[in-house]
Amino acid sequence: MTSPRTPKLQGLLAVLSTLGLLTASHAAAEPLRFNRDIRPILSNACFRCHGPDDKKREGGLRLDLRNAAITELKSGDTAIVPGKPDESELLKRVSTHDPDDMMPPPEAKKPALTEQEVATLRDWITQGASFEDHWAFLPLGNDAPPAVKNTAWPRNGIDQFILARLEKEGIAPSSEADRHTLLRRVSLDLTGLLPTPSELDAFLADQSPDTWEKVVDRLLASPHYGERWGRHWLDQARYADSNGYSIDGERVMWPFRDWVINALNNDAPFDQFTIEQLAGDLLPNPAKAQLAATAFHRNTVINDEGGVDAEQVRVETSMDRAATTSAVWLGLTVACAQCHTHKYDPITHKDYYGFHAFFNTAQDANNKGPTVDIARGELLPGAPPESAGTGPEAETEPDTEARADPKTGARAKAKMKPRPAALMIMREQPTPRDTFLLTRGDFTRPDTAAGPLLPAVLPAVPPKLEKGTGPDGRLTRLDLAKWLVSPENPLTPRVTVNRIWMRYFGRGLVETEDDFGTQGSAPTHPELLDWLARGFMDNGWSQKKLHRLIVTSATYRQASEIRPDLQEKDPRNLLLARQERLRVEAEIVRDAALCSSGLLNPEMGGPSVRPPQPEGVYSFTQRAKKWETSPGGQRYRRGLYTFLYRSAPYPLFGTFDAPDFSTVCTRRPRSDTPLQSLTLANDPAFLDMASKLAARMATEVPGAFDAVLDARLKRGFLLTLSRNPSPGELSALRAYTAGALTDFTGDEPAARSLAKDFPPAPAAPALPPAEAAALVCAARVLLNTDNFITRE
Amino acid sequence: MKTNPQLQDAALLETTRRQFFGKCAVGIGAVALNQLLAADGFAAAQAPARVNAPTIDPAHPMAARRPPQAAKAKSVIYLFMAGGPSQLELFDDKPKLRELHGKTPPPSLMQGKRFAFLKGTETLLGSEREFARYGECGITLSNLIPHHRKIADEVCWLQGMTTDVFNHGPAKLFMNTGFQGPGRPSFGAWTTYGLGSASSDLPGFVVLQSGPRGPRGGSVLWSSGFLPTSFQGVPFRGSGDPILHLRSPDGMTRERERRFQDAVGALNKDRLAATGDPEILTRLNAYETAYRMQTSAPELMDLKQESQETLDLYGVKPGQPSFAANCLQARRLVERGVRFIQLYHTNWDSHGGPGENLNADFEKVVKDVDQASAALVLDLKRRGLLEDTLVIWGGEFGRTPMGEVRNSIGRDHHIDAFTMWMAGGGIKPGIHGATDELGFGVTEGKVHVHDLHATILNQLGFDHEKLTYRFQGRDFRLTDVHGQVVKDILA
Repeated sequence: MTSPRTPKLQGLLAVLSTLGLLTASHAAAEPLRFNRDIRPILSNACFRCHGPDDKKREGGLRLDLRNAAITELKSGDTAIVPGKPDESELLKRVSTHDPDDMMPPPEAKKPALTEQEVATLRDWITQGASFEDHWAFLPLGNDAPPAVKNTAWPRNGIDQFILARLEKEGIAPSSEADRHTLLRRVSLDLTGLLPTPSELDAFLADQSPDTWEKVVDRLLASPHYGERWGRHWLDQARYADSNGYSIDGERVMWPFRDWVINALNNDAPFDQFTIEQLAGDLLPNPAKAQLAATAFHRNTVINDEGGVDAEQVRVETSMDRAATTSAVWLGLTVACAQCHTHKYDPITHKDYYGFHAFFNTAQDANNKGPTVDIARGELLPGAPPESAGTGPEAETEPDTEARADPKTGARAKAKMKPRPAALMIMREQPTPRDTFLLTRGDFTRPDTAAGPLLPAVLPAVPPKLEKGTGPDGRLTRLDLAKWLVSPENPLTPRVTVNRIWMRYFGRGLVETEDDFGTQGSAPTHPELLDWLARGFMDNGWSQKKLHRLIVTSATYRQASEIRPDLQEKDPRNLLLARQERLRVEAEIVRDAALCSSGLLNPEMGGPSVRPPQPEGVYSFTQRAKKWETSPGGQRYRRGLYTFLYRSAPYPLFGTFDAPDFSTVCTRRPRSDTPLQSLTLANDPAFLDMASKLAARMATEVPGAFDAVLDARLKRGFLLTLSRNPSPGELSALRAYTAGALTDFTGDEPAARSLAKDFPPAPAAPALPPAEAAALVCAARVLLNTDNFITRE
Repeated sequence: MKTNPQLQDAALLETTRRQFFGKCAVGIGAVALNQLLAADGFAAAQAPARVNAPTIDPAHPMAARRPPQAAKAKSVIYLFMAGGPSQLELFDDKPKLRELHGKTPPPSLMQGKRFAFLKGTETLLGSEREFARYGECGITLSNLIPHHRKIADEVCWLQGMTTDVFNHGPAKLFMNTGFQGPGRPSFGAWTTYGLGSASSDLPGFVVLQSGPRGPRGGSVLWSSGFLPTSFQGVPFRGSGDPILHLRSPDGMTRERERRFQDAVGALNKDRLAATGDPEILTRLNAYETAYRMQTSAPELMDLKQESQETLDLYGVKPGQPSFAANCLQARRLVERGVRFIQLYHTNWDSHGGPGENLNADFEKVVKDVDQASAALVLDLKRRGLLEDTLVIWGGEFGRTPMGEVRNSIGRDHHIDAFTMWMAGGGIKPGIHGATDELGFGVTEGKVHVHDLHATILNQLGFDHEKLTYRFQGRDFRLTDVHGQVVKDILA
């Protein structure tokens, strides 16, 4: 029949049952809970046709509400008769194999329920079939960190929650990672940069009890913290430097990027951070920075193509704003309800358009809209007001004097002075346009008969919000923003802390960080999630305090090595009895190599820059882009300052899973492809960095090649992996480097070619070409190890 | 001698595990604990259910996978005519349109229709091209595409194509991803997600480009969207090395690169033993594949093994990038097991403006593709490759029956009726579909883009409703909630 179980597994289950190891029947065990045990089954198998969407509802049956589910249907059947499983039609239908009666029906193309799922439903009906609202919409819980047996392990409340769960399963947490690993981990996590050898020495030498906290506080105070965490936020804001679609012309968006970095460095409270980005223009007498913050929703794509229906693009844009707002703050996918009532979550077709109405009265339409002038450095104090790297987006113009005389054209460049950037911002229409429900989401089919819809928050998400601050009590974007960060809104803090958690452990406490709806996964540690969310609000929405809490926990400080016992008990590491090894993001791959090679230009903010990129990148786009390599040290700035064309992102970034920045991205995938290998091995930019790393190894460890080879290689390990090599690693790299020396000694032209980026004296010791080439080879190997691009 | 890479991995991983963990079998206790976790509500926190998703070996995401149904096609070559070719000048003869040339179109045909540039005052435009019937199927072909006569009975002429979107960028996205906005996986990415690739030393999804400029939209057209990035298309460059960063640094020979690979591998294996993280194994494999690509990709581009007769069949001039050269490359890629090959050729956007008229400009772009498109079908057939290779030819939409007057004469974008063709891969040759006498709409055999996608996935061995990927709480598929397999055209 429908059970896919193999006879072998059936046999095993039978054995386990007799051993009393299985709790397939819950009747005797603790009561079943709807959200934990029942909803996942019903949601997956039934709600599509028997859920919130009344247009698709079959047989008049609704299973997501108790009253509806236990009421007799027109057919005379009752789906659920509490306490009486044998009278409940639901159980008959999910148990039968008759294709006419079985549920889900064959045409639904969903697998039949497993025997265990059927048994669970039976027990639940026997126990009275109680329902619960979906967990994510319930108010935050208030559980204190639980007691644990091993009281020596926890360093803060996080650890009590984690350890209590582990102790329940009889799993011991991992030991603390060694100091080398810890410093590299926390430096990459908080700033995206590698620790310097002197930072490492200081940390290793400091034996005071709060040495870790001192490191954490130093990193949180670093301006690079705002760059690191700003980049995560910019993914969600779909920040890019071009308009997207086919023409993909340049836009001036960098002041928004600078605003984000600055806000994070100042630890702007997340509620204020939210309000300013969503509705800074609606604040009383908004400051320029508050207007600039609203560029968050001007990051939408613009279609510059001829023959575009501007109204269509405008509607698509405001729909994207609704979808992005919901995804970023609520972790809900509302776009389903654009065309019909959501099939799983309590969001009706009309609810969607009420939510959409908040964004439908913006002034901008496609490529026309309000802007604010921002001067360089205005939003990011500390950033140089005028930098050498301009690039061709013409942030500068010749002053009038120079322009007046065409003969001074050559000198005009030298006299360029920055002019303010016109940053696109949000503004409301003086008279708001009407918002209608769009039939099937089609902008040409407004349901005018039903009348215009007023802005409304999602009714399923608390708190209720009826009256707004706009004319006639109309709700505004400002009301929406305040509603999102209202203390009674349980989703915003849960979603936010979950995403921050995800960056540290590779996975959120709610694994489906982008779906807190009924189809998403339940939290592995629901009490911890709520404790963090509540603490986040209680601490004035301070993100830095949350980061500090997480990275000072014993949970965070565990080793990441895979443990044989966990391989079997918790292979996916859901209970966090160890840390995770995580490949760093695209920009950080490059930033780390810039750190190792000593090339990093730490300048912050300003117009985006253009590091060298291979020719031919734009042969695959409609319009060839101008990519004039930025001069001097500008090419060595951090990855997040690289100019982002949506139609042809900087190749390294696309190769390492950066999104195309056209739509909201809350989590980047982590792939591992041959193209990544080719990039690290052969990209001229990486050979340049390998050469400068080789030069550092030579400079920082002077001496005769053979005599200091081991010391130089160890220095290389320190500069790339922030640790000492294992004996096996050292001997492998030594053998390779020594072999390369012999090889290149017999082929000096090749040695000169390979070491062409090795700096001449006095920037580095004057080495024979073969020695330089051999060190470049060693450095290139180090930059190509899995460990280099992995945070352990 | 070739050994199975997966067996090698298994052996390496097993060795590592034993070194690191000591010998330890999966015992009854482990199973029991998993059951306890499930009973404790932990099941809901396990990986999201992906009942219909293919099982992907993380160490070899591109390893060839068997589709759930019997497949007719193993590879796809998609000749994408970027800009929207005019079916009315090539495949769909409309004598009535010539008869009514210069007249205002009947209002009933225009009502409720949306166009990119037409203002409503345009008049009907009869084609100046001469048409005749060819082959047993009797397809009408214009004198602009003489080479297509040779494949009149080899291909299935889809004359009733329709799409939803009338601007280039969104329409190209729609044709490639089934959705008019960015963010969804492309058709090629869905294919490699489902099937992996039979080539272990070339990318599974290759994109080639020819014509005066690249396709509008760029990389989103071959994006993997929310699918893992392993499945995204890899653009092969027209000049220099086909793959970005394929070439080793100057001074590094093949032997030196082997030693480099071995050194990187030795360090990675040491770390694998120290951490036990199987992800390192994936990276070891990726480096080995990259090393093989360094020889296989240049070998692919080297046309010396092709006979003069073959070069002439396509119209390839060695050393000159062209659509013809890309067609020949596509055949060579199929021979090497590459799963999905997409060729873009620009520019078909015949509005009548400078460089885009329906006269000399159109003739030039037709000449670019006519011979090689037909040659590809014929060459695949004589080599026995057409049976399990599906060739698709078409743009993101067609052109209007009304003329558009700019500098000279042209036509606007038309989404309600246009022509595409498919060959091989279990598709039955012949004519499918017809349009009304003016070419405004489809009268029979309508095939919507979603239907086309459903049909192609069917030929690759998938029920389009079952090839899904869960993202943001929803099981997404190429055809969204639409699509019907066009059973009439299946052989």
